[in-house]
Amino acid sequence: MNQEPAKIMTIESILARVLRLGSIIAGVLLAIGLSTMPLTGAPYPRRLIMAGLITLLLTPVLRVLVAGVVFVKERDWLFALFCLVVLCALTAGVTLGLVV
Amino acid sequence: MITTMLLLFPVAIVAGVMGAILGLGGGVILVPALTLLFKVPMRTAVAASTVSIIATSTGAAVAYLNDHFTNIRVAMWLEMGTAVGATTGALVAGYLNQRVLFILFGVLLGYSGYNMLKTRGKERDRQVVPDRMSRRLRLAGSFYDPALGRRVEYQVTHSIPGLVIMYFSGAAAGLLGIGAGIFKVPAMDQVMGLPFKASTATSNFMIGVTAASGAVVYFARGDVQPLVTGPVVLGVLIGALIGARLMVKMKATTVRKMFIPLILYTAAVMIYKGVVRS
Repeated sequence: MNQEPAKIMTIESILARVLRLGSIIAGVLLAIGLSTMPLTGAPYPRRLIMAGLITLLLTPVLRVLVAGVVFVKERDWLFALFCLVVLCALTAGVTLGLVV
Repeated sequence: MITTMLLLFPVAIVAGVMGAILGLGGGVILVPALTLLFKVPMRTAVAASTVSIIATSTGAAVAYLNDHFTNIRVAMWLEMGTAVGATTGALVAGYLNQRVLFILFGVLLGYSGYNMLKTRGKERDRQVVPDRMSRRLRLAGSFYDPALGRRVEYQVTHSIPGLVIMYFSGAAAGLLGIGAGIFKVPAMDQVMGLPFKASTATSNFMIGVTAASGAVVYFARGDVQPLVTGPVVLGVLIGALIGARLMVKMKATTVRKMFIPLILYTAAVMIYKGVVRS
């Protein structure tokens, strides 16, 4: 898109990396948790599964945050603002959901 | 318990494949499957389905981003609408008549399904004239479509109507707990003029964010049962990885033909819920 020599990675590849990392960690935690579950009665497979689910849950939020940082670095203030609006709306949504 | 988990897995994989290809959360398939086939309580099923929306989105988005099917700028612009809409939807949920809303949104979906049916098979290169907002936000995009064997360059129009529709789509999700991607795809395809594959990939990218705020609430309420949600989410994640690879090579007309029955089915489910009482 734009030809700034200092920037090698596009926003697409940065966000793809964030999402890949999130899904790999979540997938591995879930797979270990689920496969050890039938073998042991121990509580830790359950915790591994929960950890996997929480990792997955945080990934999209992190994705918005990282996109915001990229936009700030590119001095694309408008889109950085959009990310901020999304994060605020998410926070408000969570707060509301927990209170109501 | 173990057999249930093993049976849940293939269902979840299919849901993930479909969700990834069509840019949908797949709740309209997963929730009835979980409650009717596996006798999972409704709350647990809805929570599992919400977390699996994130799995579909995250799993498929990697491939779509790398192939530039996802339009990040369109996604960020429209996410404001869905995120704010979902929050206000949840806020006013108690004050509105759910049955009327189900019928209203169901009819709207049915109408956009009908429009899609009319224009099926015509994956024309539309001459979209960008509006001022679209130019200012640089929403235009391009991607290489392996099914066509060439680059698809496209413009985006009706940016503000698109944002307003996303607001209502987010509100519908917040109010009715249904409709993660089913409104987003037709809005981008029919109103904003994005190519169909860019519409489903961008919808796929967006649905994870809205679902995340809902999922946090389900977690806090203890509705996320690891023994149900775990296998469902892992299956959906694997399905999404497969689905994304399939979609990249599929013809846009094929993707659209797969979408039409699902949008019409969802419309029917919503109207039914409104008429018969959910």
